[in-house]
Amino acid sequence: MKTKNYLILCAAITLIWVPALLFIPAVSDSVEQLMLLFLSTNAG
Amino acid sequence: MLLLGLTLVTLRIDNRNADGPSILFPGGVLVSGELHSGAEPDWSFTDEVPTIELQLVDPASSRRILIMESANKVYVPSGYMRSMLGRLWKDWAFQADEGSGLAVARINGFRYERKLVRVTEARVIAGVASKFAQKYGGGATPEAIARVEKSVAEGDTWIFEMAPRGQAQ
Repeated sequence: MKTKNYLILCAAITLIWVPALLFIPAVSDSVEQLMLLFLSTNAG
Repeated sequence: MLLLGLTLVTLRIDNRNADGPSILFPGGVLVSGELHSGAEPDWSFTDEVPTIELQLVDPASSRRILIMESANKVYVPSGYMRSMLGRLWKDWAFQADEGSGLAVARINGFRYERKLVRVTEARVIAGVASKFAQKYGGGATPEAIARVEKSVAEGDTWIFEMAPRGQAQ
């Protein structure tokens, strides 16, 4: 993939993912639950 | 990596000034809820409360945490204290231990002004470990209690009493 296309993809992901986290509570809650599960099983 | 970075930064910033923590990320000052005054409550009601919101006064940030009652005193734990992730995740415990320990807890919508005091006394830890195992560990078996006591003794888990403010320690 060319650098330009890669940067466009990164920008598109950012533009979709950040508002989803900020404005859709179910998304952020699910993400946090997954992170908590990861920490609980790996922090030891 | 991009998704992980975006997620961490976004949720951290989004929560930092909120009235209380999210599931994992610290929040800001606990604002809502009636401030308790008067006599010490019968803390046994916390047996039915899985987690509480706990805010340090300095720095003014809050997090969600487990709670145990023992001998009508309330305690909060901080685990993973000797692991790298724990040092990053549980910075509040270091701050409480090194600082004033002044805190506000919000339980069932009521706020309680408290002072966090780290406890290591074996007699106290035995009671807290029993409650911890019973409430969060699937049962207060001798093995489960011993595991908690060992974790505390080795410094992997820190236990703080949420003492009334102004109480001599």
